[in-house]
Amino acid sequence: MAQRAVWLISHEPGTPLCGTVRFSRRYPTVEKRAKVFNGASYVPVPEDGPFLKALLFELRLLDDDKDFSESRDSCSHINKTSIYALPVGGEELWPVVAFLKNGMIYACVPLVEQTLSPRPPLISISGISQGFELLFGVQGFLYSGQKNDSELNTKLIQLPDLLLQACPFGTLLDANLQNSLDSINFASVTHPQKQPTWKAGTYKGKPQVSISITEKVKSMQYDKQDIADTWQVIGVVTCKCDLEGSMPNVTISLSLPTNGSPLQDILVHPCVTSLDSAVLTSSSIDAADDSAFSGPYKFPLTPPLESFNLCYYTSQVPVPPILGFYQVKEEEVQLKITVNLKLHESVKNSFEFCEAHIPFYNRGPVTHVEYKVSFGQLEVFREKSLLIWIIGQKFPKSMEISLSGTVTFGAKSHEKQPFDQICIGGTAYLKLHFRILDYTLTGCYADQHSVQVFASGKPKISTYRKLISSDYYIWNSKAPAPVTYGSLLL
Amino acid sequence: MGPTSRETWAQRLGTFRASPSAFMAGPEGEDLGRHLLSDLRSEKLSEPTKVSLLALSLEYPAQLWPDAPAAEAAATSLLDTLVLLPPRPSALRRPLLLAATTALAAGGALGPTSGASRRLLPLLLGLASGRDLGRSFGPASEQRPLQATAWECLRELESCKPGLLGGCLGLLRGLLGQEGPVQPLSLLLALALRNALVIQARARLGLQGLLVAGDCPTEGGSWNWMLAEEGDAHLQPQAPSWPAAEGGECCLATLELSPEEARELRAAVAQLLDASYLLTPVAQAQLLWLLGWALRGLRGQPPVLFKPQLVRLLGTAQLTLLHAVLALKAAFGEALFTAQDEALLLRRLTLAAQHPALPLPAHLFYLHCLLNFPENWPLGPAGEEAAPLLLGSQLCRGLLPSLLHDPMDLLARLHLLCLLCVEDEEKEKKGQDQSPRRYLEELLAGLRQRAALGGGPRALATLCFQASYLVARCLAGQPAVLTPLTHGLAQLYRARPALAPHFVDLLDRVGPELGEPLKVVLRQEVVSRPGRDEALRWHLQMLARVADGDAQSATLGFLQAAAARCTDWGLQQALLQVCRALLRAGVGGGLADLLQALARQLEDPDGRDHARLYYILLAHLEEPKLGVALGPSLAAPALASSLVAENQGFAAALMVQEAPAPIRLSVGPHRAKGPAPVLQLQVEVLEQVYSLELRFRVERQLYAPLGAVHMPCLCPGRPIRPLLLPLQPRRPAPASLAVRALYTTPSGLTCHAHLPPLLVNFADLFLPFPQPPEGAKLGFFEELWDSCLPKGTESRLWCPLGSHGLEALVSRHLEPFVVVAQPPTSYLIAIRLPPDSRLLLRLEAAQADGVPVALRTDDWAVLPLVGDYLRGLSAAG
Repeated sequence: MAQRAVWLISHEPGTPLCGTVRFSRRYPTVEKRAKVFNGASYVPVPEDGPFLKALLFELRLLDDDKDFSESRDSCSHINKTSIYALPVGGEELWPVVAFLKNGMIYACVPLVEQTLSPRPPLISISGISQGFELLFGVQGFLYSGQKNDSELNTKLIQLPDLLLQACPFGTLLDANLQNSLDSINFASVTHPQKQPTWKAGTYKGKPQVSISITEKVKSMQYDKQDIADTWQVIGVVTCKCDLEGSMPNVTISLSLPTNGSPLQDILVHPCVTSLDSAVLTSSSIDAADDSAFSGPYKFPLTPPLESFNLCYYTSQVPVPPILGFYQVKEEEVQLKITVNLKLHESVKNSFEFCEAHIPFYNRGPVTHVEYKVSFGQLEVFREKSLLIWIIGQKFPKSMEISLSGTVTFGAKSHEKQPFDQICIGGTAYLKLHFRILDYTLTGCYADQHSVQVFASGKPKISTYRKLISSDYYIWNSKAPAPVTYGSLLL
Repeated sequence: MGPTSRETWAQRLGTFRASPSAFMAGPEGEDLGRHLLSDLRSEKLSEPTKVSLLALSLEYPAQLWPDAPAAEAAATSLLDTLVLLPPRPSALRRPLLLAATTALAAGGALGPTSGASRRLLPLLLGLASGRDLGRSFGPASEQRPLQATAWECLRELESCKPGLLGGCLGLLRGLLGQEGPVQPLSLLLALALRNALVIQARARLGLQGLLVAGDCPTEGGSWNWMLAEEGDAHLQPQAPSWPAAEGGECCLATLELSPEEARELRAAVAQLLDASYLLTPVAQAQLLWLLGWALRGLRGQPPVLFKPQLVRLLGTAQLTLLHAVLALKAAFGEALFTAQDEALLLRRLTLAAQHPALPLPAHLFYLHCLLNFPENWPLGPAGEEAAPLLLGSQLCRGLLPSLLHDPMDLLARLHLLCLLCVEDEEKEKKGQDQSPRRYLEELLAGLRQRAALGGGPRALATLCFQASYLVARCLAGQPAVLTPLTHGLAQLYRARPALAPHFVDLLDRVGPELGEPLKVVLRQEVVSRPGRDEALRWHLQMLARVADGDAQSATLGFLQAAAARCTDWGLQQALLQVCRALLRAGVGGGLADLLQALARQLEDPDGRDHARLYYILLAHLEEPKLGVALGPSLAAPALASSLVAENQGFAAALMVQEAPAPIRLSVGPHRAKGPAPVLQLQVEVLEQVYSLELRFRVERQLYAPLGAVHMPCLCPGRPIRPLLLPLQPRRPAPASLAVRALYTTPSGLTCHAHLPPLLVNFADLFLPFPQPPEGAKLGFFEELWDSCLPKGTESRLWCPLGSHGLEALVSRHLEPFVVVAQPPTSYLIAIRLPPDSRLLLRLEAAQADGVPVALRTDDWAVLPLVGDYLRGLSAAG
């Protein structure tokens, strides 16, 4: 379950090495065990330089992919997990857990407590999931609230000390590095007996509980006979419980109105102490029926100090909030476009903002646009080959709006115009961006009475809700569009 | 030398980290460890600098202190530094404890004879158990973090030396219920418990009260190393942590626990599990792996203890927790998970593998877990990825690939889709729907469309070929999938010939199910579309891979047309590569014309030479030989001239190689007849060879040169008639024949071998005179006898006889040459010695132990040979 080494590498395309090792940490006692456990198949952890080179090549992050390279591009060289074998010094270092996120590569080498030839299945190596948690933890720490490079650098400087706390010998003690940081600060406080390790100290002050429900809705709309439109709601419930006592007990319930859509695929935070089996089994995998569990969804828990995601869920609402169609007809150098959007009557018609982005890929810059909108305004970004239809805060009474126009393009120059691997030929989409406050599509809510707190003092309870769009696509119905298996079956 | 300054250290540490090996090889390398230890006590350096020195020692002890004595000395020095710290708060205590532990464990110094170990262990245990170590050991505010650190140090030492804390199990259990940090204690107890169980099981002992013993070595008392010494011999690859992978029963099955011990063990495990909620998720997972491992296979320890934890764990999204549950599933199977539980676990896993709230690496790992799911009753072969039985296509719907997925995600999901298509085929036979296969086809078409995009990144093309390879491998037996795939790929080639290297790579790796038809359509694609100039290079590269004996005239026609447009060196080489492929495939007539034309017409001299070489090879080598000569070359790619490189490639094939002898030769029995002596050779075949030619050379030219002997084919174990080798002596004398063999191996290489020399004895040259008519024999002999003189010579000698007497001796050695015989005492013998000498022997009045021999010869030079021969006869018996 231990790690032999951990790296943080920034990916810097265009530089000679294409990356820099920003942080690395080796664990010699684990390495010593690896030598014994792996026996003849032992491959030592390389120094930073060779590791960087091998990893960037394997992750296809070096700039030189102009020519076919067998060791990288061969069709049989298939990776189906974020776990790699790196050729280093004529041998293969395996398993290397690595992934790229926000320009940073996170990597570690878990200890395998047996011989490596033949390679045991990944599922049998406890260090793999531990390695992932460590890397997710580091990533979470680096990017929580981080806005710019200097903040990132400050956090990188803190990292060695934090890992000395959270992973002193290569065996991870806590993936929540923020918690480790807090526990350094809380160090002088004596722990009472049953203090959870994931709670660095105790809260002192006015008791309050805040619960916020954020739903994202995504959709793929095709306007075609043989392909079904799809949409899905993904919810996250974030809580912050400022309560005194070492282990205050809280029960938070989420409720649905009578016509609400059942919550499915619920994943809870580990601080939840028990779960109703109906919560555990409610799943989007099953065909929907009326007997689906519709709450209330009760979550008894002992909250940590910091803000945490109590649960994630998905839901299948009966209709998408905005239904639309998009038609593109190619006429010589011009494209003739028609867009029609309709807000469903059940949806709260009060947006923080609502926009439709209409990009044109693999073409030249927009030179001329002629259009007519029934509502809102159209902005044209010529160089980006992008139109943005600003719909504003409200749909008109009819709930239905339309846009039609012709777009003319200049000559294509490869460098500047956006390339897209999906939008080939007539394939095109428009993407909706909107946000509605104090509203959820499922109807899900948590009110003051739904929170039970078993601790001294009556806490102030505040609740928030919002709906935002995410990957809300409407595809050109006059050309092929990428489909998922689900859209074909229906 | 004074202490180094902060700046110097910062710079030195920076250089060291950039490349430890380069630094250690440099001038400062040798003393780094020593300087580091001494500067830790320097009062001039600040605490942060010292912390950075300790951080280095935590990572690179093996470089700083490369052997056990150095590690021991370093640990001692670190402990001294720790004890000498003034009693005010300091940031050094924690890293010093970690560094001393690391030095001992990583340096291999931990053990009963190590003074540092004897100091460190009681110190750690004292700190950990919250015993008062006196004011000198830091202020009260540091006690809690130091306590937790001490537990971690002990856990690391126990990991590196299993059994080290076996004697403290009772103490640890006692402490778990009391005040103190619950996580480090729980983890250490679980680890020590597991290690103790394994060691005791190996020694076929019970727990021997370890769980209840309250006492533990403290300062003064000596540490109990017994279990650790036992365990140390076994820090070998322990039984793998994944029980199913191990196959057989776990070694713990041999552990006999008394009912009391079993009860204590159960209580300890329950105590640990009950408090597990207080641990961080990653620590909970570690605890579950350890306890699952500890109880697996242990008799009388039902795994139901884990049950209350499972629902809570299944609800979370934590990778480590679900992974730990899978480990429990694999360890206990049906004993812990009923069929319904198994189905629920699968559903949660399926859900986690696609849940939009989780990151992609987690999705991929869950997908891997699904395809390697430890089923209660697995049907397929172990170790092979397969969709679990309960994972029907309904459950998988959300897991199928789409073009919008990231490449890795797409490949992982595509694999699942292929597995479904395999099942689908079985269903299809029963007349059910075939949608997964149709979906697969559309997906592959989409991937090809993206790969065909000119100017797109190579990764898109790679993805398309990876997907095609995966499908060809998983669905090799389904022509319904492979046929559209083949045609789709041909279309892709038509759209973007620049992908030729990918096609060549694909052809090299897929089986014949896809490879053969793909080759045919690609060849058609190339030869039917001469293409523009930029595509010509790719067409030629493609053709070099797919050209074979079929459709010769179309291929040659294409090449003839292309030749005119091959104006630069690169294109000409590509063209010649195709010719080479055709040569190998045994294409004859038309190719010869083309090569001749190329040898005249190509602009580049290198190209012309090349074409001429191929033409010569085609004209002079037989087909199999040609195949070998043009086989894959080991030579490096062309530098200046491709001809040079190619010649290196041929060298092996066309040159004669020295090899060990494939046969063994020996001289068989003497055949005394005919006009000239003939050597009879026995052949023993050691390996299969073809076209064997044996060449003989007579030393000192005693005989006329010998002709070579040819044999078309020799196989070990197949009987061979003896070889007859006629000799033409120039003088009647024994000689040595040097023998060389030239032959072709079954792989087509020509080899030669030196065989051991063959010895032709004097007697091997003996020939009889023609038999005179009955009655004239004596006269005939006497006439010969008289004719020897005066030119020749006469001699007498004593030929000793063995136990068998004269008669036996004559019949064995001289029978063919006897002219007049009066057994058993008298024989007249006439021998012809080629080229034209004679030897006459009178063996008369034999006695018991010998016979007097009178001999005459017309060649006095043979006298010593005759003497040796006759004396040798009796010895030969």
